[in-house]
Amino acid sequence: MHRARAFRPFAARGRHTVVGILLTFALFSAVSVSLSIWATSRSRHRASVLEVAARQRTLAERYVQEVLLARAGARADPARTAHLLDQSAEALLNGGVAPAVNGDDDETKLPAATGPVVRAQLRQEGRLVSDLTATGSALLARRPVTAVRLAADERLSTGDPVERLRVLAALTSNVSLNAARTIGASDDLNIGNLIVLQVVLGAAGLLTSLLLALGLIVATRRQTAHFRSLVTSSTDLVLVFGAGGCRYVSQSVTTMLGREEPDLLGDGLVSHVHVDDRASMSAASLHGEPREIVFRMQNGFGEWRQLEAHVTDLRADRQIRGVVLNARDITERMRLEEQLTQQAFHDSLTGLPNRALFRDRLDQALARSDRSDDVLAVLLLDLDGFKQVNDSLGHDAGDQLLQEVAVRFADVIRPSDTLARFGGDEFALLLEGANEPPAVTAAERLLDRLAEPIRIAGHELAVGASIGIAIHPGGPAESEDLIRHADLAMYAAKEAGRGRYEVFCVGMARELGELLGLEQELRLGLSRGEFSLHYQPEIALDTSELVGVEALLRWQSPTRGAVPPAEFIPIAEATGLIMPLGEFVLREACAQTARWLRDGALPDGFVTWVNISGKQLSAGGVSTLVRRVLEASDLSATLLGLEVTETAIVQEGTAGERARAELQDLHELGVKIAIDDFGTGFSSIGQLRRFPVDMIKVDRSFVHGVEHDAKDAAITANLVSLAHALGLLAIAEGIESDGQLTSLRELGCDLAQGYLFARPAPAGEIDRLLASGISTGATSPRTEAA
Amino acid sequence: MASGDVVLSVRNRGPDAHELIVVRTKGARLPLRTDGTTVSEERLEPRVVGILEPGKPGSVRGLQLHLAPGRYTLFCNMSGHYLGGMHTELVVR
Repeated sequence: MHRARAFRPFAARGRHTVVGILLTFALFSAVSVSLSIWATSRSRHRASVLEVAARQRTLAERYVQEVLLARAGARADPARTAHLLDQSAEALLNGGVAPAVNGDDDETKLPAATGPVVRAQLRQEGRLVSDLTATGSALLARRPVTAVRLAADERLSTGDPVERLRVLAALTSNVSLNAARTIGASDDLNIGNLIVLQVVLGAAGLLTSLLLALGLIVATRRQTAHFRSLVTSSTDLVLVFGAGGCRYVSQSVTTMLGREEPDLLGDGLVSHVHVDDRASMSAASLHGEPREIVFRMQNGFGEWRQLEAHVTDLRADRQIRGVVLNARDITERMRLEEQLTQQAFHDSLTGLPNRALFRDRLDQALARSDRSDDVLAVLLLDLDGFKQVNDSLGHDAGDQLLQEVAVRFADVIRPSDTLARFGGDEFALLLEGANEPPAVTAAERLLDRLAEPIRIAGHELAVGASIGIAIHPGGPAESEDLIRHADLAMYAAKEAGRGRYEVFCVGMARELGELLGLEQELRLGLSRGEFSLHYQPEIALDTSELVGVEALLRWQSPTRGAVPPAEFIPIAEATGLIMPLGEFVLREACAQTARWLRDGALPDGFVTWVNISGKQLSAGGVSTLVRRVLEASDLSATLLGLEVTETAIVQEGTAGERARAELQDLHELGVKIAIDDFGTGFSSIGQLRRFPVDMIKVDRSFVHGVEHDAKDAAITANLVSLAHALGLLAIAEGIESDGQLTSLRELGCDLAQGYLFARPAPAGEIDRLLASGISTGATSPRTEAA
Repeated sequence: MASGDVVLSVRNRGPDAHELIVVRTKGARLPLRTDGTTVSEERLEPRVVGILEPGKPGSVRGLQLHLAPGRYTLFCNMSGHYLGGMHTELVVR
């Protein structure tokens, strides 16, 4: 299989090559210099040898002269010369010290002669010297010279002693000269060889260096080409600024901004930057500060694009000598972020602030009130008869009614007031600086405005409202308490006959409970077993298999009939009955799951999800309770999932800390955690990372519009990809149509629940589904009741 | 030996360099130069029939000669060599 060659950065590759070149030069130079030193010292020796060899010639001639002088009676010392000749000949042949001849030269240390030819010549010289000196001595001693036995194989024809002496001197002189020549010639040869060797070495070193340099050039070219293609093919825009403005623009500018390079070079670029952003832009491009800038630029089509740039000051870098900006077009991202923020804080149906934003505004108002002791009022408003409109005229009519109500309410409030929709038919109003009289006036105005009939789908509708008012007299307070007070007052208004308002007073909770008789009925119902659980299946979108159920509480009261959770849960929360109710749900759901497990009905990875109320979490002890219940029902923790609301786990303070710690503890035990109504409450999605979460539930309000509303579809897509980015599963709730199912499948959503698959049903019905499987679309699409 | 063209093969077996000069002679001793150690080639010149310049020790060289009947002397004229006995007679008939 072909594998692309890994790209090695230039720094490493280039360094190695440069080091290689330097080492080659160093090696060849060292060899060359050593050779030269060796050759020089050798030739110095040779010079001494040559000198001594050549000197022998003169000495032989001098010896003859001295013998003749001595014989004639003149003063001469031929014996000394003979000694010099003899010693020098010995030193030349076998090495040693050649004596000084005259006063003005020194003794010379000689190496032994090497090479057969020169040694033969020197040996002959030695023999001739001894023949010469022997003849000389015989002559001086007046002995017959012919009687001298000659060591050198000469056949002297003459008997004349002087002639014999001169011939021997000539022979000695001759052989000395030739020996010197031989030494000289071998020296020449050595020097010639050395020159050839040096040239070869030099050439080899040069060739190696050239090859390495060639490699370096090729590597550099590849490197440059690589980086050039990186820069030019990058979708990021690379800009380099120098003293004269913009000096370089990468090719991506055409696709990103629809502008051409010449249009932007020099001062061109800045002229397209938004006037308000020019100061930061020129600061960054001149001084490399700030490191991150966001600026607006007009593209070739006149649109403003928002760019985010990382600024790198490379003025000190000799290769660049400028400030480099790596810019990205973040227009779409910003747009989406704005949308998400809008969606996170606003109700998509009416465009009013949602519960999260209302809570935020109320928190701020309370903080101000804590400082200034200013009063404020919270009004909670619930439409009377809305459910009938929804049931008889349909979902769309219900939506239109809510929109019209929102418009009317918005008419009668001050711009400084905050009107919010909490979901369903519940609205809230925050009046800063208002005590009871103006709050009551506002409530009356709202009711008046609602009294005029509303025309929807050809029907004249008359809807009323029940309003609860909570007044904060100033000073410290919790927004949660204030909202609960308004809530209780609203229930009081409803109980007192609808279409009216009530102002909360201390003790109302208890009175209300008694008034309603609900608290007692709840207690009785709990002991009489009037509560039961229904289970709504959850489906894996890729396999269409049943992978879990959500346990939902049902109350069948003997006097009131089926009471919707929305009516009794707030009372249960206000009176603390939520604790035993929550425990009941948990016990029942776990016991049922254990039964399914024993029957072998559960597929792998099945999870039964139980809703945990924010009150339960704040009260603490959930972790202990869940452990106890799991143990009692002998159920593995991995089969249980808890659904909590966003607001419950982002809560500040010690209660919030404890809730998070308890969830963390359960999560470590194996219990799954899901965030309910996801996408409606978080002020910062980033917080999600800090919580022990396995799954997020995409709120039904987004799912509802996923098929036709581009905004809802975009938000759902983002929530799903956000979940996946955080390694979580995404489940869509409230799926009612095949179209929604198709859209959610396309968006990559993992799980789904809704009427399209199955309504919440008693355990027995789930037994059947577990055995036979789910057939999607079998149930006709219908609005799921709150 | 017989007259005519001959090639002398000359091998230097000694340690020193030597040359070879061939002259026609009457068997007498060759005249010397005033240095007393070399033969006077100048005086012999008309009778010189061949010269082989000094060769290195161990070298083998050829010398081509046309020899008419007569007596010849072959010798080395390096200083002292003739007197040191480095000569021989050759008779061509």
